[in-house]
Amino acid sequence: MKQFRKILRFELKNYLSNKVFIGVTVFLLILIAGVSFFPRLKDGFSTATPDTHTSTESLPLMLIKAPSADTAAQVESGFAGAFPEYRISITTDDDDAIRDQIIAGTAECAFVLDSLTSYTYYVNNLSMYDENTETADTVLQELYRTNTLVSAGFTSEDATQILSMPILHETKSLGKDQMQNFFYTYIMIFALYMVILLYGQMVATNVATEKSSRAMELLITSAKPVSMMFGKILASCIAGFLQLFCIFGFSLLCFHLNKGEWDSSSILTSIFGMPVSLFVYMLVFFLLGFLIYAFLFGAVGSTASKLEDINTSVMPVTMLFVIAFLVVVVSMTSGNVDTLLLKICSFIPFTSPMAMFTRIAMSTVPFYEIAASIVILIASVIGIGILSAKIYRLGVLMYGNPPKLTTILKNLK
Amino acid sequence: MRLELKNIEKSFGANHVLKGISFTAEGGAACGLLGRNGAGKTTSLRILMDVFPADAGEVLYDGKPVDYATLRFGYLPEERGLYPKKKILEQLIYFCELKGMSRKDAVKAADTWLERIGMSEYRDKRLDTLSKGNQQKIQLITALAHDPQIIILDEPFSGLDPVNAMLLKDIVKEEIQKGKIVLFSSHQMNYIEEFCDRIAILNGGRIVLSGDLREIKRSYPRNRLVIHSEAAAQIKDFLPYPCSPDENGALLLTLPSPEAKQQVMQELTQRFDIDAISVYEPSLNDIFVEYTKQPADGDGRETI
Repeated sequence: MKQFRKILRFELKNYLSNKVFIGVTVFLLILIAGVSFFPRLKDGFSTATPDTHTSTESLPLMLIKAPSADTAAQVESGFAGAFPEYRISITTDDDDAIRDQIIAGTAECAFVLDSLTSYTYYVNNLSMYDENTETADTVLQELYRTNTLVSAGFTSEDATQILSMPILHETKSLGKDQMQNFFYTYIMIFALYMVILLYGQMVATNVATEKSSRAMELLITSAKPVSMMFGKILASCIAGFLQLFCIFGFSLLCFHLNKGEWDSSSILTSIFGMPVSLFVYMLVFFLLGFLIYAFLFGAVGSTASKLEDINTSVMPVTMLFVIAFLVVVVSMTSGNVDTLLLKICSFIPFTSPMAMFTRIAMSTVPFYEIAASIVILIASVIGIGILSAKIYRLGVLMYGNPPKLTTILKNLK
Repeated sequence: MRLELKNIEKSFGANHVLKGISFTAEGGAACGLLGRNGAGKTTSLRILMDVFPADAGEVLYDGKPVDYATLRFGYLPEERGLYPKKKILEQLIYFCELKGMSRKDAVKAADTWLERIGMSEYRDKRLDTLSKGNQQKIQLITALAHDPQIIILDEPFSGLDPVNAMLLKDIVKEEIQKGKIVLFSSHQMNYIEEFCDRIAILNGGRIVLSGDLREIKRSYPRNRLVIHSEAAAQIKDFLPYPCSPDENGALLLTLPSPEAKQQVMQELTQRFDIDAISVYEPSLNDIFVEYTKQPADGDGRETI
């Protein structure tokens, strides 16, 4: 136990004095501060500088050609409201002249109407996000309907009111609100994904470095493999959590300082308004999920003799993890988290941290299922921890090509 | 203090590495563990230090199974290596602490030893800024600073210059004088001859020879004489026995029986100008080659 504490302290100090580790954390904190204070800073700048509202002259030109002057006026007033980002101008040029103007760049686009219900849209390069035709369709449809109603004897005010009658509705969710919980489930799973891959790689590299520098020869005769393994993994776990707490704690602080600016963002308010019970579950599953994979990465790292071998050695573990991640994310984004697949996954230790948390956050799960999942996970963490310490003891003394899994399993005693 | 390995067996998969290894090392004396590459030396040492368990056999300390929680081992591995990017003092303290020392004692021991090997000024330097020989000296501290009862040195002299080799010799002699058990594993036979009272030669996973080095040498037939003389040619003509020059330019004379040697020695010293004359004893090198030339098979064990 004493030995374990010494190893833990040594390894933790390694992480915390690592310049890259500190650098990345500080960079992220600055980034968060920058983003969260940005609206304020922007406001500060824009009030300080004189009003530079762009005049309509500098807006891109949209040409409209209509069969009659009456229609043209109607369309112009309708489009003026729908396309505030354009300067709208009525033209009577023929189609070729309009095309030339667009190609030359003097006009950006043109609507050549045959009637209110049919037109040709000219544009030079059709952008992927060009929604002008959809907007125009809506405006034209409305104009057509209003005209029809007016011709049937309604006043134009009545017609407008009939066409834009708003419907009042209210939703009351009796279980979980998937939409609201979606964001922090997504963030937790993504954070877990990032942290496991990053720290897993770090643990594997750490072990392989000791092995390749032959410090292992001395370590293995000085300390018990179980102490070594648990010391290393817990150190990486503490370092990871410290980093996450710094980042999320700081984000929370920044959010509160700039609450006024971000209140309108439903995503942020839902994340920082996470219920406490869910937060506790998140911590538990995050911790256990981290540990189970970190042990695997540590064990795999011990089988690589050279740092170059690390990437190939960790591949199976990474694959396992990526598959687990994909299964959960696909189920989650599909909106149905009560599938049989996800239920099974929430009891398999490699997938349960993500799968069970998703189910808890986005659906209603009976408590005994949660408890069973956690118990299985804890037992697996301990089991895999001990197994990985055994693999470690064997692996670190094997030099040369990374051994096959079957060779290792055969020699485990 | 007495360390004993008894009938140690070990296999890795189908590879039977150790086939019943037994040897003894005593406190206050160094024991040399010899063997060709792949003979099983490192495996034996790892079993001794409980890196992995033996399939059969036992490791005894003063007749009782070793309690690894209390018995301290100091190990200088053949494959040297510490943390290249860490400060020297920091890692020395870490290794001392791993061996059970308190932080305070560890700092003190590390500083004392750095001074002993004359490297105090490097205490806050990174290990990889040192030359290879100096890194080796630092590594030696990790084997000795926690005051182990049993010291295991695997090729301790490789890569050291003569001055550093001398320093290491002095340190090892001090440790032996303190009554510690010192196990040497080396291919440099001259160092083994200098330090070790006892040897054990491993070949093909078996001990092919073990015992007191002096007795082993004396056990060879004492019917050969080594003669150092300017008059080697005349001596060769004079003697009726087979005579041949050895690699050092001396004359090696083989008598029909050990009993004849006194008379021959007297006769030679009277007739010729003799620088030195002595009974031939095989060097450790000769003994080693003799016992490890053939891969071991059957029960070729011999204990003296």
